[in-house]
Amino acid sequence: MRAYLALFRAGFLRQTSYRLALAAGLATNAFFGVVRTAVFYALYRERDQVAGLDVADALAYVWILEGLFAVIWAPWFWELAEAIRSGEFVVELLRPGDPYLRLLAFDLGRTVSVLVTRTVPTLTVAALVLPLRLPGTLGGLALLGASLVLAAVVSFQLRFLFGAAAFWTPDYRSLFMLLFPVLWLLSGFVVPVDFFPGPLRVLVDWSPLIPLLMAPVRVATDGAAAAVAIQVVWVVLLWLTGRLVLATASRRLVVHGG
Amino acid sequence: MAEQAGIYLRLAAASVRATARRPVYLVARTLAAALIVAIEVAGVVLMLDRFGSIGGWRPAEVVLLFGLAFTAQGLAMVFGDTLEADKMSELVRRGTFDQVLTRPASPLGWVVASYVDTRFLGRMLAGAATVVWATDRAGVAWTPGRALLAVLAVTCAAAIIFGVLMASAGFTFVTVQASEAVNVLIFGGQYLASYPMQIYGSALRFVFVWVIPLGLAIYVPALGILGRQGPPGLPGWLAWLAAPVAAAFMALGGLAWRAGIRHYVGTGS
Repeated sequence: MRAYLALFRAGFLRQTSYRLALAAGLATNAFFGVVRTAVFYALYRERDQVAGLDVADALAYVWILEGLFAVIWAPWFWELAEAIRSGEFVVELLRPGDPYLRLLAFDLGRTVSVLVTRTVPTLTVAALVLPLRLPGTLGGLALLGASLVLAAVVSFQLRFLFGAAAFWTPDYRSLFMLLFPVLWLLSGFVVPVDFFPGPLRVLVDWSPLIPLLMAPVRVATDGAAAAVAIQVVWVVLLWLTGRLVLATASRRLVVHGG
Repeated sequence: MAEQAGIYLRLAAASVRATARRPVYLVARTLAAALIVAIEVAGVVLMLDRFGSIGGWRPAEVVLLFGLAFTAQGLAMVFGDTLEADKMSELVRRGTFDQVLTRPASPLGWVVASYVDTRFLGRMLAGAATVVWATDRAGVAWTPGRALLAVLAVTCAAAIIFGVLMASAGFTFVTVQASEAVNVLIFGGQYLASYPMQIYGSALRFVFVWVIPLGLAIYVPALGILGRQGPPGLPGWLAWLAAPVAAAFMALGGLAWRAGIRHYVGTGS
């Protein structure tokens, strides 16, 4: 347990040391957030509610999206796949303890650092200036916090599965470049999934993309504890899938070079 | 002059051939770049259809703005991708740029021609397809004047983005370390210019019409293509101002690039 905590800490400190990148990231989130806010204000000028969302819900969506962006689409997306391709990953299998937990601990350190330095400040400032719908009680805020961390966990678990493709093919990039835009839309990063046509919406609601962005948004706007429960279910399912993939891959891992 | 152009063409052809050595990767990259445009447009259409209009613009009219902005960005990035901070920083840190300066060619020409990125052709073509689809849906009757406006919008906006990229590269010579801040202007500016300018507050609108004139280059010509009246202060004839403004903006970017090179000291070996 101590080892995993140390890894978590190392990940946290590593991510926190990129000050310039942090400033640029905050500026980017603020800019896109302002533009998206203007878009939703213009859209809701003549309407109160569309597809179950009002302007306060839409603004909460905008700023949670901006806050979570660097957590879900982590800039170190390819690290695992590159470590597998180069053979460095073998070291992970030789270390004591559980490789999946170690990777999770380190990754969570980094994403929690982003949550603390980017998500929370972005959301706080936005909530002070704009009428976002956020939980008004301490319990509600705690639930939102839990939901944001769970989003970070699911993000790691999905990135792990994508990275693990490198066990089977060295050309993993081509596949994912074509997949990313689709994931991008279906996870709600282009527009809220509430605006999707019925059948697509149902399909997406039952996919592991919901825990990434829309679940925290629903916790923020409806105080939906059910959304957190769905996140937990996906964490468990993706946990089992990840372990299975890692076990299968470790048995057939071939390391190139000498 | 013709000989110089020949050199750059050969450099560009060599860089395209180099990427074509991995055809699957090349095709995937190009398709993915086009897919991003399609997905973004699909999402926006789904949303706007729910609302009916934004700032008095119908969905198809907004999609025209998206198409023009994506086409311009794609065009600028085919040539200017290497000028982005992270790639420029690598050229400087590895000492590659020392070699560039000793070559009998313009440094800018060499950098641009040696790293042509066909991926952004995907973005450009998907953007152009979006323009065609949007104008068809919006019921635009194409005339030579309107076609000229579309070409003007794309060329001028691309020139402005290229100017930003040159200035950012010049800045990277001084800082060496890459700063992603410019991405806000290139990707954020494209996103902002994809919606009608009247939805923004006066400060944001002023900056993106007159300081970084992407709004002037995309929104104002789009008014003409759609046959719409602009809001007060942005009459349709301003479109013809986009060309000299974009040219001036590109010239400023070029000056910043030159000033950057004068400060370039290399990073040792």
